Amino acid sequence: MRVVLLTLMSGAALLGCTDSRAAEVARAPQQASVASAGDLAARFVSHPENIQPGMVKPYAGRVMVNPYEGNASAAATGAKLFVSYNCIDCHGADGSGAMGPSLADGRWHFGGTPGEVFESIYQGRPEGMPAWGSLIADDQVWMLVSYVRGLQANKNVTTENFAGKTVERTGH
Amino acid sequence: MRNARVVMLAVAVTACAKGADTTGDSANGHPAAVQTVSGATIAAPRAGPAGEWSLPAGDYSNSRYSELDQITAANVKGLHAAWTFSTGVLRGHEGSPLVVGNTMYIVTPYPNVSYALDLATEGQPLKWKVRPENAQQAVGLACCDVVNRGASFDNGKIFYNLLDGHTVAIDAASGKLLWQTKMGDLSRGETMTMAPLAVKGKVIVGSSGGEMGVRGWVAAIDQATGKEVWRAYNVGPDADIKVGPRFKQFYKPADAGANAAQHSWPGDSWKQGGATVWGWISYDPVLNLVYHGTSNPGPWNGNQRPGDNQWSAAIIARDADTGEMVWAFQPTPHDIWDYDGVNENILVDLPMGGTTRKALVHFDRNGFAYTMDRATGEVLVAKPFVPMNWASEVSLKTGRPTMNPDKMPASGKKITFICPSLEGGKNQQPAAFSPATGLFYVPTNNLCMDFEAREVTYIAGTPYIGGNAPEVAGPGGYKGEFIAWDATTGRKMWGIKEPFPVWGGGLATKGDVVFYGTLDGWFKAANARTGEVLWKFKVGSGVVGNPISYLGPDGKQYIAIYAGIGGDMGLLIAGDVAANLPFDVRERGSTLPDLARWTSWGGMLFVFSLN
Ligand code: HEC
Repeated sequence: MRVVLLTLMSGAALLGCTDSRAAEVARAPQQASVASAGDLAARFVSHPENIQPGMVKPYAGRVMVNPYEGNASAAATGAKLFVSYNCIDCHGADGSGAMGPSLADGRWHFGGTPGEVFESIYQGRPEGMPAWGSLIADDQVWMLVSYVRGLQANKNVTTENFAGKTVERTGH
Repeated sequence: MRNARVVMLAVAVTACAKGADTTGDSANGHPAAVQTVSGATIAAPRAGPAGEWSLPAGDYSNSRYSELDQITAANVKGLHAAWTFSTGVLRGHEGSPLVVGNTMYIVTPYPNVSYALDLATEGQPLKWKVRPENAQQAVGLACCDVVNRGASFDNGKIFYNLLDGHTVAIDAASGKLLWQTKMGDLSRGETMTMAPLAVKGKVIVGSSGGEMGVRGWVAAIDQATGKEVWRAYNVGPDADIKVGPRFKQFYKPADAGANAAQHSWPGDSWKQGGATVWGWISYDPVLNLVYHGTSNPGPWNGNQRPGDNQWSAAIIARDADTGEMVWAFQPTPHDIWDYDGVNENILVDLPMGGTTRKALVHFDRNGFAYTMDRATGEVLVAKPFVPMNWASEVSLKTGRPTMNPDKMPASGKKITFICPSLEGGKNQQPAAFSPATGLFYVPTNNLCMDFEAREVTYIAGTPYIGGNAPEVAGPGGYKGEFIAWDATTGRKMWGIKEPFPVWGGGLATKGDVVFYGTLDGWFKAANARTGEVLWKFKVGSGVVGNPISYLGPDGKQYIAIYAGIGGDMGLLIAGDVAANLPFDVRERGSTLPDLARWTSWGGMLFVFSLN
């Protein structure tokens, strides 16, 4: 218990949290038995910047910038790499989804910011996404990021309506 | 309206010419009984009680025939759901449960949990549940959904494969995990999905991963210890593929000679040659041979591997004790269409030309049905069982197809409307055989494809494909048909047309009722002699599994089937049934654009009985 509290504290300190209440939290356990309800409420500290349900937030406090952001020719090279590294056969033509998830639906399992997509490609993901970081150069990963993030347009299927002769698919 | 009537007439004429086509809903009008084949028998009928189902296909011969006959063509309309069980997994439920004694054994798709259900107690409570360790990476490496095609029971143990390349043995009484043997290398993209066959104190297993540039193998494991007894690759030097003095080919291909399965590939390309064993295994105890097929060669793009590419897309007979190759035959030499040869080999003794032939019947992906001599590999009959145009016939002199030069994919070219498509005239969905009628009952696909091949680089652990092949309905517009087949003549006797590929297997019963399920979630019973649909029930999800029949502890005949859409057809290339994953709302393929209207993901066992 103590260890956890200390870790949180040092984390808070590193992020520049100078609030003196952090020190009070560390003392909380031995005082709990005599504290009134009012005192207790004052002792709880919230750390929204550290703890998030679900979504992985790699490199909090540090934003990874794609050196090729907005660079169409880098995205075009990324499209070629997508074929030559066989991404295409797991993720489908135009990233539309096959054995691996769709990358063209505007929906992300592991986050869709440039940094998060970089992480997906670099580190791999648990259900069979290979880790490419050791195999290909960082700038190629970024070109893939440019290509993959550019796929998001118009493939987000929220509603499928089967009432008519053909299936209508709509999204946003 | 007038036009419509003209079309209808034309359809009727074709139907009459074929003799006995019916439709999926032929509730009215009774088609006539077709001619049956008398004197046809299962090579090795099951040894155990008729009411059990202890091996993936019921018996060594892969007949999928049940001797139970309480359910008949006359009373099957009274069939109703008796009980159901949720497997807790929402992926493609290929395969079927087993029933031994008063227990039913179920293996789920990944994570490959197994259950033993007590059939003798009301409510079918669990006797045990086993959750083996099973690496998560396997999920993204399996080409065609995370399916598992079932288990084998022998000597008090249950054997099955894990997607991550392990084979496990479980004590059938206690559920204790007895051994877990690593057979495949996941880092190279090897997974395991097939149902092992328990034979003579061993379990025969094989690899998946033909789309990942792996080198396919089949192996035998000692049932008692979990130790590998033999392993045979299907491509490479003779020593590795277990070709020795006993190997005799009925047809000598151009590439015959020493190490042909190495030299029929350029350079070292055989090392990524595919030829995996993800289909069904059969066994002839008299010849002591196991039979298996092999998958497509890697990559799909044939320009990268000129030659016959032995023994990919092949049917192989091996000695059960040593794995020695005794004969091999390639229905599709130098496959460039993804026509795997893995479909089941059904072992039957057929009256042909005044004698009884020890036959093997195989409905290949390439659209030809082969009736072969199972001792020698000679082709006795080879006829198309679905519409096709990639080849016109199979020569009985050479065993080779006469190919259509207009339908041969090549790098950088787009070839249009090749039939059948890469899903094949039939795929994993196994056929059944009834000795009562002498006919085979075959679930089929009617799809065609455009094929665009391209150069592909081998990167271990990633797909090694090099092609794109969108699919459309074949001639006639229907996409599947459940047919009855006479393997002595190579003739279709009747057919039930379906709007979707028939991706679930068949079951034949002594009561002259045959069963199959459809992608849109219908479980159907048809008259084995006429093809008339006698009963149907809409189950909870599309069917890609295989029906079985067993005798309950109460003495009643039951029929069991998995509902759980998935597999290649339900999930992938052609599929249109989206999972409810908020992070993956992909727009599905155009092949089955309407399928999602009829079904959604599921994972249920349905069991049916009379009254
Ligand atoms: C062997 C198949 C395979 C290959 C090859 C592959 N991927 Fe993946 N990829 C997957 C799977 C499976 C996932 C989902 C992993 C999970 O859910 O844990 C995934 C996930 C991803 C994600 C995260 C998607 C999200 O929703 O957050 C991205 C981005 C991605 N892959 C890009 C690529 C790129 C770029 C390449 C080629 C350099 C590539 N992949 C190659 C199988 C593959």
